[in-house]
Amino acid sequence: MSEHALALDVGGTFTDVILVGKDGGLWTAKASSVPSDPSRGFFDGVDKILGQSAVPGSSVTRLLHGSTVATNAILEGRSARTGMLVTEGFKYILEIGRAEVPRAANLFAWVKPDRPVQPRMIAEVPERMLLDGSVERPLDEEACRAAVRRLKALGVESVAVVFLHSYANPEHERRAAGILREAMPEVDISLSSDVLPVFREYERSMATALNAGVQPVVGRYIGRLRRGMAERDLTAPFYVMKSNGGVFSPEQAEKQSIEMALSGPAAGAQGAAYVGALAGAKDIITIDIGGTSADVCLIRDGVPAITKDGEIGPFPLSIPIVDIHTIGAGGGSIASVTAQGALVVGPRSAGADPGPACYGKGGDEPTVTDANLLLGRVPPHLLDGEMALDPALAEKAIRTRVAEPLGIDTVAAAEGILAIVNNNMVGALKVVSVEKGLDPRDFTLCAFGGAGPMHGGDLARQFGTRRLLIPRHPGILCALGLLATDLQYDFARTRLQRPPNYDLEDMAAAYRVLRADAVAALDAEAVRLANRRLSRSADLRYARQGVEITVDFPGDSVDAAAVARLVDEFHALHERLYTFADRTAPVEIVNLRVTATGVMDKIELPEIGAVAEGTPAPAAGERRAHLGGGFATVPVYRREELLAGHVVVGPAIVDQLDTTTVILAGQSAVTDRYGSLSITDTEA
Amino acid sequence: MAKAASTQVGIDTVTLELITGALQAARAEMEALIDRTSMSPFIREKKDYFTAFLDRDGRLVVSTSLTLAGNLVDAILEQYPADDMRDGDLYWYNDPYSSHGGVSHFPDMVFVMPVFHDGALIAFAEAWGHLWDIGGMVPGSISPQATSAFQEGIMIPPVRVMRAGELNEEVFRIFTRNSRFPDMMKGDLKAIMAACSLGKRRLEEVADRYGVAAVQGAFDHMLNQSEHALRSEIDRRVADGDYSFRDYIDSDAVTDTSYSVHLTLRKRAGRVALDLSQSDDQATGPINFLMDDSVPKYMAGLYLTMHDPNIRMNAGFERVIDEVVTRPGSLVAPDFPAPLGLRSHTMIRVNSALFGALALATGGDASAASSVYVLYYLRGRDLTTGRLDLCIEGLAVGFGARSFADGIDAVYYVAQKNYPIEFAEMEFGIRIEGFRIHRDSGGPGRYRGGCGIVRDVRVLADEADLGIRLDNCKFPAFGVNGGLSGRSGRVVVNPGTDRERDLKTMTDGQKLVKGDLLRIVTSGGGGWGSPLDRPAEQVRDDVLDGFVSEESAFEDYGVVIGDDGVTLDMAATMERRSAMAGPRGMFHRGDFFDGSDFQIEAAE
Repeated sequence: MSEHALALDVGGTFTDVILVGKDGGLWTAKASSVPSDPSRGFFDGVDKILGQSAVPGSSVTRLLHGSTVATNAILEGRSARTGMLVTEGFKYILEIGRAEVPRAANLFAWVKPDRPVQPRMIAEVPERMLLDGSVERPLDEEACRAAVRRLKALGVESVAVVFLHSYANPEHERRAAGILREAMPEVDISLSSDVLPVFREYERSMATALNAGVQPVVGRYIGRLRRGMAERDLTAPFYVMKSNGGVFSPEQAEKQSIEMALSGPAAGAQGAAYVGALAGAKDIITIDIGGTSADVCLIRDGVPAITKDGEIGPFPLSIPIVDIHTIGAGGGSIASVTAQGALVVGPRSAGADPGPACYGKGGDEPTVTDANLLLGRVPPHLLDGEMALDPALAEKAIRTRVAEPLGIDTVAAAEGILAIVNNNMVGALKVVSVEKGLDPRDFTLCAFGGAGPMHGGDLARQFGTRRLLIPRHPGILCALGLLATDLQYDFARTRLQRPPNYDLEDMAAAYRVLRADAVAALDAEAVRLANRRLSRSADLRYARQGVEITVDFPGDSVDAAAVARLVDEFHALHERLYTFADRTAPVEIVNLRVTATGVMDKIELPEIGAVAEGTPAPAAGERRAHLGGGFATVPVYRREELLAGHVVVGPAIVDQLDTTTVILAGQSAVTDRYGSLSITDTEA
Repeated sequence: MAKAASTQVGIDTVTLELITGALQAARAEMEALIDRTSMSPFIREKKDYFTAFLDRDGRLVVSTSLTLAGNLVDAILEQYPADDMRDGDLYWYNDPYSSHGGVSHFPDMVFVMPVFHDGALIAFAEAWGHLWDIGGMVPGSISPQATSAFQEGIMIPPVRVMRAGELNEEVFRIFTRNSRFPDMMKGDLKAIMAACSLGKRRLEEVADRYGVAAVQGAFDHMLNQSEHALRSEIDRRVADGDYSFRDYIDSDAVTDTSYSVHLTLRKRAGRVALDLSQSDDQATGPINFLMDDSVPKYMAGLYLTMHDPNIRMNAGFERVIDEVVTRPGSLVAPDFPAPLGLRSHTMIRVNSALFGALALATGGDASAASSVYVLYYLRGRDLTTGRLDLCIEGLAVGFGARSFADGIDAVYYVAQKNYPIEFAEMEFGIRIEGFRIHRDSGGPGRYRGGCGIVRDVRVLADEADLGIRLDNCKFPAFGVNGGLSGRSGRVVVNPGTDRERDLKTMTDGQKLVKGDLLRIVTSGGGGWGSPLDRPAEQVRDDVLDGFVSEESAFEDYGVVIGDDGVTLDMAATMERRSAMAGPRGMFHRGDFFDGSDFQIEAAE
């Protein structure tokens, strides 16, 4: 019996499925997501692909899953009924937050967003730790029991425990957890010293409260998945994608549920890293363009960038997550002219319903897709004719809503819509690269998602990357990314070290604890010794700075030489990121980190058929299209007919089931062994 | 031909958006650089820094929506004519007097870098930040007790700190010698200066890409957009007439005298003027506000255009209001060397006086008053080592309710953050022992005023001097259109012990010793609309969440909650509310009043 890996990425609209066999078989499928019960979309996808491939459930040897369950629960306010235990005197930390009107807001108009846990659901407990982890006031267990009874009376399903300075000493939080378990064995418990054991109480409270809110939701969801898998004889090990680009077990997901918050986008970044590696590209900027938004991520040396200053909705999220920058720009983004005569595209979106004007479902506002259709970049029918688009409706929407108000012709209006949305996307590409001191010319741009390949050519040119990569299956790259992941766990402790007296003993001891935690996590997953990787890093800053830079810890021992190298590397990174370094200024070491990786066996993507390198690809037809500089008749190719070695010279269009790739004049595309198109500018 | 011409217009429209987007991104990038590299608690944790782009004539084009001055470059151009500027120059000042209010108190350091293209000046990139200590009479430089600008730190008139990329080390050395924390100052200045260079570079790239004509065109277009938006709002909402309002500051922190800002919004025959000449004479203490004309214009512009997210605050607003009248020697146009450290107390009263005038002009469609943010200055000393421990902490207050939403609870100001407790305990000789919402401080209304906060601070230094500036106690933030005023704050030492004592709320030089507990209770914002119209469920939820007491629910809102503390007694509520019904004035502070007839005696 052959081994197969099955990956499912459940998004807002579609569930993407991919099944890969060690024997070279590859199947893909799309099922409609069911937002009211995402497990239905999941199993519709499973049944569809198992049926299509005739692979029995029992020969699936690994199952990977990316899910928006946690994300949607937070963004749509469908989290579980959550209570909190906090240090006496500090019930309002979550409510007060950092007390600012956001930088981009108008202070007269801004309304403070509702917090995930209301003050009425928060009970105070007498206890107090100090910043060095010493106990100032012991936990009053009687009072804690009374507080727990109050939460019980409120009918909570989940409880977050956040005590001040618990990152320095988690003892009181753990004792409170014990008391909670005695009184309410059925509720979920999240401790801030587990979820995010670093200083800054508001950010830690937020992460812990969000975790508590999604824990029961994730727990129920995973329960449904387990039952459904058992019914289908799917007994393979099962892993869930988390926001840091790794996967974890469902048991871990039930505890650290907040780590699933950016599951889907993180999988997309991994997919791009994987496809990029097969194409020999290690430094990549990815852009995943869907209907309503575009996700951008930086990949260096094959690894997606991680941030600890992320956000989810209006809330800060300070756990390590893949650094995805999202903007409201996609195929469904609406173009409109403001009262002051400015042309604006997005962030408003026509979504899937009514969708772009050309869908003929009653939408009369022009979208980016309408502009692409009007310019002939998109064929008048999608999904190989299953879905017809109406160019007349697109033309009418653009003419009446954009061209006439601006006093320009319709084609110029369509070009303008694309120029503006492309510019917005280039802005997003710059956020993750130029703004971090990185030169786009050193990177490959990987464009995917339903609309990525249509815009990639323009983006690559305007942004200044030398190479554009369009994966063979741009619509299901997130699912593919799941196949490329490893188990990954991050552990951190705040351990403030001030020069010149770095306490090497203390640092070594902290690393030993972190390492023990890391080993325990890998033990729990029974990861073979040969597949284990542990890496150490530290967060450094100049004395008195407030934001740290994470630097890899050199070598194996914590000694003066290693710390000196660590500090040197910090200066160099500071200069690269922020234009200057001060080698005379004292440097502080703030947090110590260990990342544990359990390398998973990878199943290779099958290669496609090949022709001699440089063979001109056979055109399947032609159509009138405006790819810059006016309408012309351009050749159209079928993606599935392109074999390794085929070359397509622009201007040209490559159609496939779920997307269209635009190759501009002056660009040419080469197909690689795995079917990816590598597009470069021939005029330079 | 006709088609080509129209296409040209289309490309321009698109290019304008492209340039606007690029400028916004560049400004965000400048701010991110300062955020990540600065060193003082004020800039790195509190985020007291801002950036902007101005056109070659010094008109503000893109900035954070903060209603401080827009004339950031004029004073530099007076000293250094544009013809004499070179690529790589950097200009610096912090002096409100020689910049005519371009900056409004001394700790704010303004840096401006001219941007050139093909040898021609095309724009300015600007960044400023509030420095931790620049000398002066007390650590931290700002003292509520200052009576002269000479006590508030070093004054830097516009100087050229960099010539064609060459740093003037001497100016830098003179400056840092004047600070009690020179290393921290160097770190912050580096961050701000690097941000200017970055902004300059980004603007050059935009000009290279689109051409100078397009950049100038985009600047003009952005100004025009804001101008037209504000003009149409004023035309639509304000009928010809005079609308006057007077609002009060508790004291100038040196004397016990209250001060007032008086503002008349005058619209006649298409001309709009803001007349502040009837404001009080300048103060002895540091609440004087050397106000640039752009300030009340930006306040009006931001308020009246707030529902259109495409409108940005810029010099376009300035063109709509033809005149701002001030009187030399008054609170908003003080003569040198009047002290200016606490100018925000007056700045925020200019804002609320404008809201009062707008309420009169629009029949109540204006925000209620907000309380002024609070700062305290704790200068601790270790008697054994002599070490100075300086803690300056900004504290949140409640903002005024609006005609569409509650006032913001526990808020400081635009883009400025509080210190995490776990940070404050790491950096300063204090322990925070409580941090709560100040219940009932938000003015009752259909929309409730925002609540202030309570911060309990234990002094750990051997001894300490305390300065504090907590306003809106004598004169709570007023309510509008039937809403009630916010409630006052308080400063108390060792509450609930036999050593309990109340401190003045605007004061300096108070002595504290190790172990003292300082409780700071901040003021709330005014309410909007009658509290009897607030849905009873919302009042009950506010009670459950601790923003409103059960007593206030009954007394102010007429809402009766059952014995379980959760269930609403709707019959009793209706009865109570009909008994309370009756006429209410346009404004409220302690009592209702109409027009600008609130008299200082009424409060005392």
